Amino acid sequence: MTSDYERQLPHGLSDLFFAEAAQRTALESGLAETFLRWGYTQVIPPTFEFYESIAAEAGTQLREELYRFFDRDGRTLALRADFTIPIARIVATKLYDQPMPLRFYYIGSVFRHEEPRAGRRREFTQAGIELIGARTPAADAEVIALALEALRTIGLREVRISIGQMAFFKALLADLGLAPEQVAQVKAAIERRATAQLESILRALPMADERRHALVQLAGWRHSERWREAAHALCINAQSHQVIDELTEVVERLRASVQADNVLSVDLTALRGMEYYTGVVFAGFVPGIGYDLVSGGRYDELIGHFGKACPAMGFAIGVERAMMALPAQNARLGPDVVAEACAHAECYEQIVAARRAGERVLVDVLGRSGGALRAYAQSLGARVLACRHKGKICEG
Amino acid sequence: MRGLTVALPKGRLFERSLQVVEASGLRFHAARSDSRRLMFADERSGSRMILVKPVDVVTYVEHGAADVGIVGEDVLHESGVDVLEPLTLPFGQCRIVVAGTPEQRNANLRLMTNLRVATKYPRLTRDHFARRGLSAELIALSGSVELGPAIGLADLLVDVVDTGRTLRDNGLVEIETILRCAACVIVNRASQVIKSESVNQWLAQMQIASSQ
Repeated sequence: MTSDYERQLPHGLSDLFFAEAAQRTALESGLAETFLRWGYTQVIPPTFEFYESIAAEAGTQLREELYRFFDRDGRTLALRADFTIPIARIVATKLYDQPMPLRFYYIGSVFRHEEPRAGRRREFTQAGIELIGARTPAADAEVIALALEALRTIGLREVRISIGQMAFFKALLADLGLAPEQVAQVKAAIERRATAQLESILRALPMADERRHALVQLAGWRHSERWREAAHALCINAQSHQVIDELTEVVERLRASVQADNVLSVDLTALRGMEYYTGVVFAGFVPGIGYDLVSGGRYDELIGHFGKACPAMGFAIGVERAMMALPAQNARLGPDVVAEACAHAECYEQIVAARRAGERVLVDVLGRSGGALRAYAQSLGARVLACRHKGKICEG
Repeated sequence: MRGLTVALPKGRLFERSLQVVEASGLRFHAARSDSRRLMFADERSGSRMILVKPVDVVTYVEHGAADVGIVGEDVLHESGVDVLEPLTLPFGQCRIVVAGTPEQRNANLRLMTNLRVATKYPRLTRDHFARRGLSAELIALSGSVELGPAIGLADLLVDVVDTGRTLRDNGLVEIETILRCAACVIVNRASQVIKSESVNQWLAQMQIASSQ
């Protein structure tokens, strides 16, 4: 009996072939090339690990989305849901005494059991980098500039980057002693910019009016050229001023390297993203696509979870989302040459020579010759490499 | 505020939504006529308005097919979509409540096993009962939810109430309020960055228009 499932794919997965498969591979090579040029080398973590490693610091939501299964000893394993957590484990357990900073890039599938939406499936491809062992504005600026450059080199124009800072929100809530659920509520309202909702949440929390006012103003944040003054006006303690000063330095460094107006904006309500983010965070957008193509941030406490503490920052590009933003490519997939299948050593040498010269040579294993072979080659847009012993009987 | 696509909900919130959008400076002629057109242009600002079912407003905005939209918070929270919601509007106020027969008002829900709840809002209902540690069997209906308890299909219902008249007419009483809602403006996250100038200008004008 055949199962109803054997011809189907699980929800949220897809098959890629022909032009789409070629386009994705080309995109991945383009990204890898850019990462290499900036001095990043590849890291290839395994596809699955112990659940404990993958779930570490993943946050409640991502943890719910993990694909979990058992090995034969009854241990729980999980498919990776991002690359940053496995890389943090590798650095903390194996590379902690290497010269810092370390620069890694990665490309591969990640797996999340979420409702497929917004251009994301349950298996999707991330291409990204991690800059490990540096906690400077120069490091923040390099990571953001590389994200921008990577999107530009794969052909995306008009990329816009929105920059936030997790530590600013933390500074505004410093010393209040709020419970984690209360912080989560405030954070959720601010990051949705739900000012009215935030006001009613804050009314129930013990804090001075000045702080309450600053938080409500934060939820109503609008980027402008004078963002820095606006941000300082929200500051209520030395810590928050310092965070803005650091952010200013990152933005100024970026302005110098980005070479385009209106590419950067500052959004202090950007508090989403991975739960392990601790500092500067950012997301990149292009016109016509309703979601971010790249997102990243600083995570200075994640690596310490696995061993020796080490500051780091990185980003991940959603490769499928980037593909949605690019026009469909009409890359030529067919062969350049269709060769007649015969068994002459000298004919075969011609085939080998053409392949060495970089041509795509297809041998017609169905044994066509003459007009039939020419018609077949024409249908593929290729030239013919006919047997040189025309009319003679092929030997062997 | 050039080039914005605004999604407005058909039905209950449409008239007030259109009023406030027009007061914000966008003009969509013929939007009130009974034609079956679903898309209207404001040539002057290069903006357009699309007219869709309330539940679809959130979908259009989440995917960026519309930059901004107006929708009831009940629909927004039920959908669970990831959008910005910067402005609450002064109309469309309603509440999502748990209701049942008068006897149930005094019943201890924790002691009721096999609690069956009829609703158009499965997500909000599931979350509400789960937060209280109650396991409820959801009976998803698409309308006339009041019939559920009245006819014995369900023990309770979760639905939106405006004046509460429909509940009373069907012999039901409110047990508790889950959520207070009003109409609100939602904004696509990418549009907030890509078209920030237009979006911010429009939001500022909407704020003025809606507080008049």
